[in-house]
Amino acid sequence: MHIIELIFSPLLALLIGVFFLGLARKVMARIQWRYGPPVTQPLIDIIRLLSQKSASHGVAFNIGLVMSLAGSLVITLFLPFGKIAPMSNSGGMLVILYLMLIGPLGMAISSGESANPNASIGISRKLLLAMGYELPFLLVVLALMTAYNTTSITEIVSLQRDTGWSMFTFPLVLSGIAYLLILPAMLGVRPFEVVNAPQEISSGPLVEYGGPYLALATLQHALAFFIGISLFVNLMWGGAANPVIFFLKMLVVFFLGIFVNAVFPRLRIDQAIRYLWRWPSLIAFAGLILVCVTGS
Amino acid sequence: MVNPVLLIAVPLGLAFMVPLIDSASRKLTRFVPVAALMFNLILCIRLIPAVLENPIVINLGGFTPPFGINLFVGPLGLLFAGLISLAGLVVSIYSLSYIKNGPVVKYHMLYMLLLTGATGVVLTGDLFNLFVFFEILCISSYALVAYHGDRAGIESSIKYLIQGTVGSGLLLIGIGFIYGIFGTLNMADIAMKIATVEQSTLFVPMILMVAGLGVESAIFPLNAWLPDAHSSAPSSISAILSGIAIEVGLYAVARIVFTVFGISDIYLFFAFLGILTLLIGEMCAFAQSNIKRMLAYSSIGQIGLILFALALATNNTVTGGLFQLVNHTISKGLLFLSAGYMIYRSGSMEISSLNGMGKRMPLTSLAFTVGAFSLVGLPPFAGFPGKFLIVSGALLKGQMVINILVGLVLLSTVIEGTYFFRVIQALYFKDGNGERKRAPATAVTAMITLMILIVALGVYPKFLADFLSSASSDLLDKMSYVGSVLK
Amino acid sequence: MTGMEILLLVAFGGVMLTYILGRISSSLRNTFAVVLSLVLVVIIALMYDKTGETIFYRGFFGIPMSFRIDALSWLFAMATSVLGCLSVIFSLSYMSDRKNISFYYSMLFLVNAGMLGVVFSGDLLSFFIFWEIMSWSTFLLISFNRGPAVAAGLKYIIMSIIGSMAMLAGTISLYTNYGTLNIADLSHLTVSASPGYQLFLLIIFGVAFGIKNAVMPLHTWLPDAYTEAPSPFSAVLSGMLTRMGIYGFLLIIYVVVGAARFLHAADSTVSSFNYVLAWLGAITIVIPTFIAMLQNDAKRLLAWHGIGQGGYMILGIAFGTNMGVAGGIFHTLNHAIYIVLLFMSVAAIQYRTGGVRDLNSLGGLIKKMPVAFIGALLGICGLIGVPLTNGFVSKWMIYKTLISGRAPFLAFAALIGSWGTILSVYKFLHNIFLGQLPEKYRDIKQSPFNMKLPIIVLSSTILLFGILPGLPLRVINKIVVSFGFDSLNISLWGIVSESGMLNTINLFAAILAGLIAVWLFFRIGARTIPVKQDDNYAAGAAVPRDRYSYTAKYYDPLFRMISPYLKDIFNTFYMKIADLTGYLSNGIRKIYTGYVGNYVMYIVLFISLMIFVQMKWSPW
Repeated sequence: MHIIELIFSPLLALLIGVFFLGLARKVMARIQWRYGPPVTQPLIDIIRLLSQKSASHGVAFNIGLVMSLAGSLVITLFLPFGKIAPMSNSGGMLVILYLMLIGPLGMAISSGESANPNASIGISRKLLLAMGYELPFLLVVLALMTAYNTTSITEIVSLQRDTGWSMFTFPLVLSGIAYLLILPAMLGVRPFEVVNAPQEISSGPLVEYGGPYLALATLQHALAFFIGISLFVNLMWGGAANPVIFFLKMLVVFFLGIFVNAVFPRLRIDQAIRYLWRWPSLIAFAGLILVCVTGS
Repeated sequence: MVNPVLLIAVPLGLAFMVPLIDSASRKLTRFVPVAALMFNLILCIRLIPAVLENPIVINLGGFTPPFGINLFVGPLGLLFAGLISLAGLVVSIYSLSYIKNGPVVKYHMLYMLLLTGATGVVLTGDLFNLFVFFEILCISSYALVAYHGDRAGIESSIKYLIQGTVGSGLLLIGIGFIYGIFGTLNMADIAMKIATVEQSTLFVPMILMVAGLGVESAIFPLNAWLPDAHSSAPSSISAILSGIAIEVGLYAVARIVFTVFGISDIYLFFAFLGILTLLIGEMCAFAQSNIKRMLAYSSIGQIGLILFALALATNNTVTGGLFQLVNHTISKGLLFLSAGYMIYRSGSMEISSLNGMGKRMPLTSLAFTVGAFSLVGLPPFAGFPGKFLIVSGALLKGQMVINILVGLVLLSTVIEGTYFFRVIQALYFKDGNGERKRAPATAVTAMITLMILIVALGVYPKFLADFLSSASSDLLDKMSYVGSVLK
Repeated sequence: MTGMEILLLVAFGGVMLTYILGRISSSLRNTFAVVLSLVLVVIIALMYDKTGETIFYRGFFGIPMSFRIDALSWLFAMATSVLGCLSVIFSLSYMSDRKNISFYYSMLFLVNAGMLGVVFSGDLLSFFIFWEIMSWSTFLLISFNRGPAVAAGLKYIIMSIIGSMAMLAGTISLYTNYGTLNIADLSHLTVSASPGYQLFLLIIFGVAFGIKNAVMPLHTWLPDAYTEAPSPFSAVLSGMLTRMGIYGFLLIIYVVVGAARFLHAADSTVSSFNYVLAWLGAITIVIPTFIAMLQNDAKRLLAWHGIGQGGYMILGIAFGTNMGVAGGIFHTLNHAIYIVLLFMSVAAIQYRTGGVRDLNSLGGLIKKMPVAFIGALLGICGLIGVPLTNGFVSKWMIYKTLISGRAPFLAFAALIGSWGTILSVYKFLHNIFLGQLPEKYRDIKQSPFNMKLPIIVLSSTILLFGILPGLPLRVINKIVVSFGFDSLNISLWGIVSESGMLNTINLFAAILAGLIAVWLFFRIGARTIPVKQDDNYAAGAAVPRDRYSYTAKYYDPLFRMISPYLKDIFNTFYMKIADLTGYLSNGIRKIYTGYVGNYVMYIVLFISLMIFVQMKWSPW
């Protein structure tokens, strides 16, 4: 059973991630009164890309991308999906936080090696944006860990079963609001789509990728999307005992994200940081103080 | 047993023989001080066991004290006599090659007179005799400061002369007062009778004597002659002035304050005075760009530290102070000697002109570095045990005021470190130009001797500490002093 | 003669011998240096798991000076000797074309010997003596490069003397109070010390060790010193020498004062000291890490991280739980490994590019110097604390301590520091190794073997300690137990605490499996064609040579936001004090006017003042 879960959960995550990508395009199209591609379009693209030849810029160009995707896959082993969390006893929230670095770092090394300034600018923006949302995000996570007095994500989920969703329990409500405010930035959707910004910097880090590289990069993107939503659901919306309910919760978050994406224009990177470091951070900070005050 | 009178008589006699010897053989002249001081040093070492057992009191002319003049060779006196011989010997070896031009004969003669005077001051047991020897010391040093005969030398010599004379005058007046009060000039006798006189009447004579001796011993604010004199004298003389002359002055102050008067109310004042001297000396040194002036001001600072240590008047601090004094004689001597040749080669006393000396004169630079490290008090050099003893003795007193003063001592070490390390950097890590030329063998011998001493004392301070400990009780234990002189 | 005495004899004897051999022949000296450093490693390795104390010298006023070995000193000694050895090997070619190499090597050994003396000291007197030897020999090496290094060295030695003086005062105060300086005896005697005295000890020694470990606000010597020292020595300096401060903190807090006994007492000054120290550690993490982001000099960037990482160690050991202290010590060890590696990678680059360390003028060197790249990559991974590297485990332990100790704000400082680290070290990696290779570096060669060897050794150690943290943690656990804490629950690859556990071997397996799976998947796809760096997307235009890269002002948007707040105010402040001292000294110097009339007046005034005071108040 355990081994099946180990193999099954990354694949499931990939599947859901790719599905979300397809769905996003469809929903966006409908919002904009277009018909849009079929939901399976990203999957078809990935298969096509895998069969195309592509230029390689060196060993780190390959390895970085592989590392990035592998790192993201490993996170799915730690994140509970419903009750499926095959490796949650090998490390908790802190491991997840740090594993979440491997994806961007691998991507950064790979696209840095591509020797294209567009890619470098994209990476620079990616790291700056991460700096921007990590500040409130860490405050939120610390508030959660302090409030539940554990660093294990499965325990956080199971404790919410007794208390109700963290977002609607008293001392964590501010943290929940802050998390909601930074969620678009963590998912990389508009108004925070500064990293890939196709019109400005030719898709940024992706600029030199073609063929199998682009396939891997797409998969990594899908996984990052999945992880962002899943983390939010687990931490704030009580996770779920049942994978189906969990999936439905994720879908709700996904739609929220897409709606935001659809109506906002893109910010400049400095505007984004300013936004993230102002209200969300202040609210998250207040949330952490609240937790500390009421907790002891 | 050898007679300690020889410690004074031999150099004195040889000093006046120098012109005669010179007329016999020019080459031999230079070796006269070496021979005399070698003799003195051996004598001092041979006297150590006897003195440690019992202080030797010599009555000159057979009159017993308090009627005659006596010499008192206790551990303290012997320590100073030994130190004078040692420093004198090393510097005279250095001078063999360093002093070549000018009135060489007079140099050697005055040099030996200076050391004779110094030895006399530390060994005598009679106030007036002390004054006489003190004058010998001062007058020969006035003359030696002007040795080069250049404008700066003569100017500072005159300044030194004026201030020194004022000091001597004050000392003499003080001695006069004392004689008027007690009718005796024997130090032991006065010390015994001191309790019979009301304390306040003693104040004026004491302050006159302290001020008079304070000029020579460079206590602030009486020390203004020092930077000029030290910086314009030949380096060998600077080494002696810094290492011997002011220390002998300090000895005299300490002897009079502790042994003769021995009234403890004023000790704390001296501690403050010491700290003031220390801080002002170090800060002035910090502001110097002239290497010899820097070293001169640093001497003021060190004297302040030693005065502070002595003024705390416990066995520990006095031992520490004496250790620091020995260290200062050796290290400052080494610094002046090494700086002397560096200045000689570069032709300028500016610190910037010493840039890159580490490449050109490696051994001399090393000597300077060792001296500087030792003076700052870095282990494993000789400065560290002294500082350790002083600080531990001071903290042992457990008074808040003294703890704060200790803090200032440590602060001044930081300043001292700063200016010394600045010079060391100039020596090793800045590029200068000039040819690579070593110091002559005699100078190198002198410097190596001092370096070995510094390291030896730093690594094995116990070797000196026991002797210093009895020297410090010699200074502090008034009763046994009186007892051994007057029997 | 015990092992420790032989060791120190070899260490100090080697200093002289290296210099003398250097006068004879340089190859003889090099061989001797390598052999000597290996011998030290072997001797210390043989002393594993020994404890004991021997008096080696009584010559210093009869105060017994002794060597002591226990788990703590063994760990630090082992790290010192291994890193020293690697640094010597690395220096063989790095220093080969410099002047005064014999001086360099002998000073390197003197610093090493001083550090070994410090960690093996069984009493505070020998501790102080070795500490001073270490400090001034370091000064001589920092200034070795001349030019700007001279000022850096002066700054270092001034701060170092201030620290030493504080330590001297503390040491002597202990001596006068208890009559002994033996560390083991003191740890029994200080139980009865008053809380005020304990606080005094902690503060006064804290100043000394805080300066050495560059805890904010006492850090200002470090950036200059690290930047200007010869690179292989920068490695030693940042890896071990600075961390002697951590050793000192451990010694004073947990051995001499024995804080484990007091930490839970309600009115203890020790715990408030530790609380303040922990906050200083947190500040030390955050501010330098962000300042590092603004640096364009590779070594200066690493130097600021050196300060920042020191904050983690302080935070860990100041928090004072078994896991926190263990994490702090482990982080010290880990930091030594990866920062030495990083400095060596930079040094390899400097060696081949002729001393360039400006991040804006390098680039694309991954193709030319792959080993240096691997070193730098693993180094920054360790520095960030990417899972499977050693830095992750120790940081995990520190975070864990802070969270379960209910100190979320300290944990926040630590975490945000890590995220700040990513930004600056990625810039470091990118600007040196990634991006376009400038024309002038087209023909540079790989680093020589003796540079590669230390890099490879350290890189593999990073992974080894990251995957099997139990290896070093066993020794560290002994240290923690010897401080009086409970034993940690560790295995070879796992740590269990009350609020969660870590299993690195599972993590390793998962990541490895993930990598293999993705790699296979990637290989299923079509073949890839290697292309040159000029074959690049430039929106249809030709790729401009040497100018098609983005390195300068890498984080400009953030830079413009935060740089006004990130001035090193302490440095400015200390410089002001230094200037003020200069002015004051110049003013005081004017007392000596040069006019002899004034001088005589001083004498007369002195006497008049004395007599006046006596007559007016008659204090005497």
